[in-house]
Amino acid sequence: MTHFLEVSFIALMLSSTYILIAVGFTLFFGAINIVHFAHGDVAMLGAFVAIILYGTADALGLIGGSPIWVWAPLLAAAIAVATGGLGLLFERTIIKPFRASPMLITLVATVALGIIVRESVRLFYPQGSNPQVFPNLFGQSGIRLGELYFRTGHLVMLGLSLLLIIAMILLIRRTRIGLSIRAVSQNIEAASLSGINPDVVIMLTFFIGSILAGVAGVLIGSYYSMIKFDVGLMYGIKGFSAAVVGGLGNFYGAILGGLTLGVIETFASAYVPEGMAYKDVYAFLIVIFFLVFKPSGILAEKQYEKV
Amino acid sequence: MRKVGSILLLLGLESVGFAVFVAFMVAEGLGAIMAVLFGVLIASLALGRTKRLSEALRNLFEEHRKLAIAWGGLFVLALPFILHDNPYAVHMLFLAGLFVALAIGLDFQVGSTNLVNFATASTYGIGAYTAALLSVSFGWSFWIVLPLSGLAGMLFGFVLGLPTMKTKTYYLSLVTMAVGLIIYLLLNNLSWTGGPNGIAGIPTPTIGGSDFADGLTVFGIELPFQANFYYLILAVVLVEYIVARRLHMSKVGLAWNAIRDDEIAASCQGIDVTGYKIMAFYTNAFFDGLVGAIYAFSVGFISPENFAFMLSVIVIAMVLVGGMGNTAGVVVGAVLLTLIPEKLQVVEAYRLWLFAIIMLVMLLARPRGLFPQLVRQYR
Repeated sequence: MTHFLEVSFIALMLSSTYILIAVGFTLFFGAINIVHFAHGDVAMLGAFVAIILYGTADALGLIGGSPIWVWAPLLAAAIAVATGGLGLLFERTIIKPFRASPMLITLVATVALGIIVRESVRLFYPQGSNPQVFPNLFGQSGIRLGELYFRTGHLVMLGLSLLLIIAMILLIRRTRIGLSIRAVSQNIEAASLSGINPDVVIMLTFFIGSILAGVAGVLIGSYYSMIKFDVGLMYGIKGFSAAVVGGLGNFYGAILGGLTLGVIETFASAYVPEGMAYKDVYAFLIVIFFLVFKPSGILAEKQYEKV
Repeated sequence: MRKVGSILLLLGLESVGFAVFVAFMVAEGLGAIMAVLFGVLIASLALGRTKRLSEALRNLFEEHRKLAIAWGGLFVLALPFILHDNPYAVHMLFLAGLFVALAIGLDFQVGSTNLVNFATASTYGIGAYTAALLSVSFGWSFWIVLPLSGLAGMLFGFVLGLPTMKTKTYYLSLVTMAVGLIIYLLLNNLSWTGGPNGIAGIPTPTIGGSDFADGLTVFGIELPFQANFYYLILAVVLVEYIVARRLHMSKVGLAWNAIRDDEIAASCQGIDVTGYKIMAFYTNAFFDGLVGAIYAFSVGFISPENFAFMLSVIVIAMVLVGGMGNTAGVVVGAVLLTLIPEKLQVVEAYRLWLFAIIMLVMLLARPRGLFPQLVRQYR
């Protein structure tokens, strides 16, 4: 039972990482029908931005000099703005010129962008080809619940991710910004006729999506206590898979897809013999299985095909 | 008199192209590589923007079609002789041929039928592993193993095609990606494929008593042994090119193009959409398997790293950079994107970084490819 609960906790951590990345994929697809394949690398960048900013703040004496509830939110905001800004930069420079191109061109162009991002970190970050130590904000402290033991850092990060996911649901469902994002996703021309500036909405989706990916990167970093330049590709593919399995463009689909993938992967590696080596095989088999029976995702919007 | 002039012009133009190519093959510095790349980009832009120039060139080519092809063919055959004291250059030519074969195969799907396939590396890998396992474990000859590898690839392509029939666009790309990653992971983890260590000791093929590992001496010129494999892959590319042109001209090519342009409209015209889509899958996979076998025999050692996800992406990029649906353009794209990373060895660590930048710049400058497919012409 203890083992089961521990595995469930890890599954929840992994699922929220996937969800945070998948939400970006689904937002971008909703807004401009493209897949941004460097999105996983944006997550990796988020972790590196966190390392750099934490290091800078530490060097300036901000970390020790003020209580945690002062510097932590400020640091988080700085990381968010920096990562969101990077995502926005990619949209403006690389993705925008391909907006009218066939899907495959955008896909390959963003794969190339991903390579450039990854290689840039490897080449230009000091000792970039080695794994980088991720700062442990909460030390070795933890909470004991019966036989279970949780690290504080993991609990805080998981709580933060869940909060963010709920905040995203509220943002999409309840606010004017969410309304305009949904409007652009349904019909970009009609949205612009109703006084929405689609370009602003597109930029907004990239800003928000990249922030969420950055949080996922920080989550990955704090879970493994390190981050390497090349983790982005696999997380990108997993996030993309989660978004597609759930139904591209559907916000709840991304959550469902991320949960499915994270749970399958964690439980397969914990309970199936030799599962560790084959966990990705199970995850991708599930992806194929779902797409064979639900070719446009679990929560696909009903689409009528026309000639 | 005019005719002689136009013939000379054609041969002259082609010869200039060949000279540039040879210069590129032997060039060492980064500057020369960049200059050639820039030249190709400018040429493509000029052809795309000025209709009169491209039409004049096409007419010139059409007028002396046979001569132009003969002169080009002679050059391709003569390349190992020109570069005979540079075995590495000949090996690069072989690799270029390998990727040309993969890219033309993929274009059956991507260019002709608009079926995305991110599993090229797996069909290619299955061909290579079939060849390696059959020849190492059973000692079968290359000439028996080669067609069998093609068939193994084809069978896999058929199986891959079936579950993807209902999915489209990004959904289709994810299914093929997932299959590609599964095959890669299995190759890495199964014991009978050698795991991450792969399979070593694949014997070199022999033909009529002479071994492929021995260089030939023709007309007093000693060719490096890599030339043998170059001519082998050249034969495969030639067959594949003819098959591709024939299919493009035939009812099959027309059906593929119809499905690409509009699937529902195509099915309303009585085109068997599922049948033709599967056909695109296994035609591609057959050649992938064949090429995989040739690769395995040429290097003698294969491991899962040779069949990773990035290889599929690069082959797709070759088709896109060359120009979807235009076989000749795809050849240019494949040759360029094989030779550039090899040539970029001079910048060592910055190789992949620079390669990705070049790829991105090419896509930005020519979003429809360097030489896109023209509207079908009936004469």
